[in-house]
Amino acid sequence: MSENNLSPIERVKKQSDALRGTIVESLKDEITGAIREDDQAVIKFHGMYQQDDRDRREERAEKKLDRVYTFMIRLRLPGGFLTPEQWIATHHIAGENSTGVIKITTRQTVQLHGLIKSDIKPTIQAFSEANLDSIATCGDINRNVLCSSHPKQSPVHEQVFAYADKISELLMPKTKAYYEIWLDEEKIADKKEEEDPLYENRYLPRKFKIAIAIPPNNDVDVFANDVGLIAIIKNNKLLGFNLAIGGGLSTTHGNPETYARLGTEIGFIDSEEKTLKAVYEVLTIQRDYGNRSDRKLARLKYTVDKLGVKWFKEELEKRIGFALQPPAKYEFTERRDYYGWQTNDKGIWYYTAFIENGRILDDEKCALKAALLEVAKTGYANFRFTCNQNLILSDIKPEHKEAVHAILEQFGVIKHTESASAIRKNAMACVALNTCPLALAEAQRYMPSLITKIDSLLEKHDLSEEEIIIRMTGCPNGCARSYVAEIGFVGTALGKYNMHIGGDNKGTRLNKIYKESLDEEHILAELDHLFEAYKKGRKKGQRFGDFANAL
Amino acid sequence: MLQGNKLELLQKLIGSFTKEELIWANGYIAATIGLPAASEVPAAQSVKPAVSKITVVYGTETGNSKKLAVDFASKAKKTGVQAKLVSLDQYRLNDLPKEEYLLAVISTQGEGEPPAAAKKFYDHIHQNGFKLDKLKYGVLALGDTSYPLFCKAGEDVDSQLQKLGGNRIAPLQKCDVDFEEEAETWFTRVLESLSGAETAPAEHAVVNVPPKKTGGKKVYEGTVLGNINLNDRGSNKQTHHIEIAAEGLEYEPGDALGIVPENPQELVECLLDIAKADSTKTFQHKNDFFTISDLLKKKLHISFLPERVVQKYASVVQQEIPATRIDLIDLLRIYPISSPEQFEQVIGILEPIAPRLYSIASSPEAHPGEIHLTVARDFFTINNERKTGLCSHHLSETPVDTSLHFYIHKNHQFKLPAPDKDIIMIGPGTGIAPFRSFIAERDATGATGENWLFFGDQHFETDFLYQTEIQNWVETGVLTRVNVAFSRDQQEKIYVQHRMLEHAKTLYEWLEAGAYVYVCGAKDPMSVDVEHTLIGIIRAEGRMSPEAAQEYLDGLKEQGRYLKDVY
Repeated sequence: MSENNLSPIERVKKQSDALRGTIVESLKDEITGAIREDDQAVIKFHGMYQQDDRDRREERAEKKLDRVYTFMIRLRLPGGFLTPEQWIATHHIAGENSTGVIKITTRQTVQLHGLIKSDIKPTIQAFSEANLDSIATCGDINRNVLCSSHPKQSPVHEQVFAYADKISELLMPKTKAYYEIWLDEEKIADKKEEEDPLYENRYLPRKFKIAIAIPPNNDVDVFANDVGLIAIIKNNKLLGFNLAIGGGLSTTHGNPETYARLGTEIGFIDSEEKTLKAVYEVLTIQRDYGNRSDRKLARLKYTVDKLGVKWFKEELEKRIGFALQPPAKYEFTERRDYYGWQTNDKGIWYYTAFIENGRILDDEKCALKAALLEVAKTGYANFRFTCNQNLILSDIKPEHKEAVHAILEQFGVIKHTESASAIRKNAMACVALNTCPLALAEAQRYMPSLITKIDSLLEKHDLSEEEIIIRMTGCPNGCARSYVAEIGFVGTALGKYNMHIGGDNKGTRLNKIYKESLDEEHILAELDHLFEAYKKGRKKGQRFGDFANAL
Repeated sequence: MLQGNKLELLQKLIGSFTKEELIWANGYIAATIGLPAASEVPAAQSVKPAVSKITVVYGTETGNSKKLAVDFASKAKKTGVQAKLVSLDQYRLNDLPKEEYLLAVISTQGEGEPPAAAKKFYDHIHQNGFKLDKLKYGVLALGDTSYPLFCKAGEDVDSQLQKLGGNRIAPLQKCDVDFEEEAETWFTRVLESLSGAETAPAEHAVVNVPPKKTGGKKVYEGTVLGNINLNDRGSNKQTHHIEIAAEGLEYEPGDALGIVPENPQELVECLLDIAKADSTKTFQHKNDFFTISDLLKKKLHISFLPERVVQKYASVVQQEIPATRIDLIDLLRIYPISSPEQFEQVIGILEPIAPRLYSIASSPEAHPGEIHLTVARDFFTINNERKTGLCSHHLSETPVDTSLHFYIHKNHQFKLPAPDKDIIMIGPGTGIAPFRSFIAERDATGATGENWLFFGDQHFETDFLYQTEIQNWVETGVLTRVNVAFSRDQQEKIYVQHRMLEHAKTLYEWLEAGAYVYVCGAKDPMSVDVEHTLIGIIRAEGRMSPEAAQEYLDGLKEQGRYLKDVY
């Protein structure tokens, strides 16, 4: 590939002096709340996006005021786990430096919005004191590693869960830029310490996502990831993992070369050492062969399809030095969070709270944020985040269950969780407007009201108990994984959505576009017809997604 | 072709040249032998471009268009063409018919739409009813070929401008995501055609209506073109940027605009009512005759009367009135007059309305035919009642199209130095006004001196007056340095003088190199604090005694290098 064809971001990465860029200078610039253009790419590798309040652009421009730039910071939480102490720290940092809302993401971590430029450093320092960091949670690099969230899913959950951390550590960039810029650590004298055999100085061509699933629940949407590991467990013993490669959902409107793709299972691996090695080398292949000229075609899925699954598997076996075994048998039957109180094989308790679109705040319905702070203060529960943007208060000893329950009851969390409808509990929306620079349409600000209207339709057709998975994204990039929903909405313009139907409930089938650019009135009219047909024509026990797929 | 040592000499000479010198020499040699220069870049210095001013506008969503536009503007400047750079969301549509050379850089969004920032402009040119026959223009369209309606917004702008009577300087250039090279080639061509324009456009005709003269001062009649509050929602401040068009304007950067505010009609009527006065009765005021009603509305000061007037009122009505400031209407209510004659006496003791002066925020070169003001609406509290300043209130509420009478108040003390001198401008709050004029003027005239601005206000997010203009001036290089202080964004108050201290070393170097220092804004405490800080910096950096530092500053004053416009 000639140097000229490289996308501009490739130059930025290479010239960034191991992800330092000119961030320090950008922070000092007094006349703008933004950082320099190149630094906006570099800062992603440190876990931040520069955003601006898109609602305010026009009015401010008239006033000769620049956009209101703020930053979003996302934590690195392999498997989505915080101790109560870390939750308390996060709670206070959010209050002091951001909008106050703690947002659980669709990839099992939390992010804060609305930090102004001068808040970034104090925020990162405060996180660091709580042993938390935001390294590599955005950017062209391996991001937060997911793992099936509910410990009751298997007696070997803890063993599987540990892989998330191991993989995250293995794939961290070697640069010390984060520590130097944000934590005022001394500049390293010997650049050799930073040499990065995995990422070199070019990092990956595009973002890279890894998830680990524990069947039969595919709560992590394992096939939507560049690398998926499916735990193969027999008689409560972890035998190894099936390796799936090349999943990824993002597409671009009007660009037929882009498409959503589910991961392809290429084999089974039976030891920790070999698993880590295989994951690592998938990244090196993508590093060496991924498309670096067109970012829209740079994810691993395009590399796999360009070179072929067979070639990819052979290349991988060459690099890891052993052969993959044929994929082992297992079954996914669902993709869900287990709401309410659950217990595991050892009698430990877990409470999964419903958090609409992952937004933790206090509002008139429920004092969620206050409740969670109270729970954290007792020290009785750990905090786990799910890929459906919900929260599990976990690892609660039987003798502490009552105390935790009382707090949840007192602040309305129990009622909030129990009263949410079946579809609301299974719904998901991305951030979109007003801060996401990619958004074409609303998502999290609009979804709750749409769900209310869909609920009325379901009630009309006597389908209220159906747990239909509905997801909405404000653009075709797929953060809320709309393409693997039973009903998916993908924003095309303000107030307009492509409607997709026919995904399954296990995340093993992509849905298909059903109607393009619908406004709310037409969305509801279409759903009204579909629900009517479903009610009349479904086979016994048939899910809506399966019914719609057969249409 | 050349004999050995001639070639050697030439090569040696060429080797020592800068790029600019080389371009000049190329033109020079070509001119000597009567041939057009073969250079791709128009020759600078010797060959003055035929077009001296262009406007570069951009409609940007992601910043690419802006980046190109900034790039174009700075390139144009290097070749001696003055380029005004404006974002389309800040472009005043009324200016369009006046434009002679306009370059537009515009991207296309989603389904062929212009970026939000260009929406108003786009809609405007899609209306009929006006002609742009003066206009020569070029459009550079940015787009993405992966979308069906590639560069649609740019195409529309290009064809609409033509429909409205404009002439293309260059054909529409459509660029894909890798736009850099094409854009550069296009712009180089545009620049060439500008420098080689066969017929320089006629100076645009200005109808000079001689302003009417009264009392030795030219009184202009102007029309308000625009009035916006520069502070964002949530600010404690309200600072209006007011643009006024008038014909035959004569002023220089640093001058002020004088305006005599009027009292509100309702208030006057109320007064006349309380006093039971005959509103049509005429009075002599100075050398003219006015009805009582006009006199109270246009000539006499009736609100928040000074104590001396209150005491005169006390003797007219023969009552005890405490020494305080109070509105005339309240005096009439609390200490009523006993006869219509007493009211005439009261009229006799009232003082004239003082004209208000506003430092002009525009530049005759950059904003021809216009005057801009930066007017803070002052709020003050008397007896727990929130009141507004009479004139600032009046001006800030003036809607577009209102006609206004004003005069120019010359400020000979506060003028730009020679174009090659460096200047340091310290202007927090509305003190920014004359410096906007200075910078715009230096930008428009291509002054080579360096410019350093200190600005301050309460909050960065809501109170950074003219932020985007300042950013553009930094990007195009006319502002060499800018430092800003926002007092209430952190625990401790930070003001402009604190920023000066942070840069004490450089500031002193500028002084030593002959820079001029200008201060504009509140007399107290700002200008006092700034002066103390300046002396402190001179003392510390120049290692001087306090007396010597004071002398140094006095020296600057004597040389006309330390200038203040404070109020």
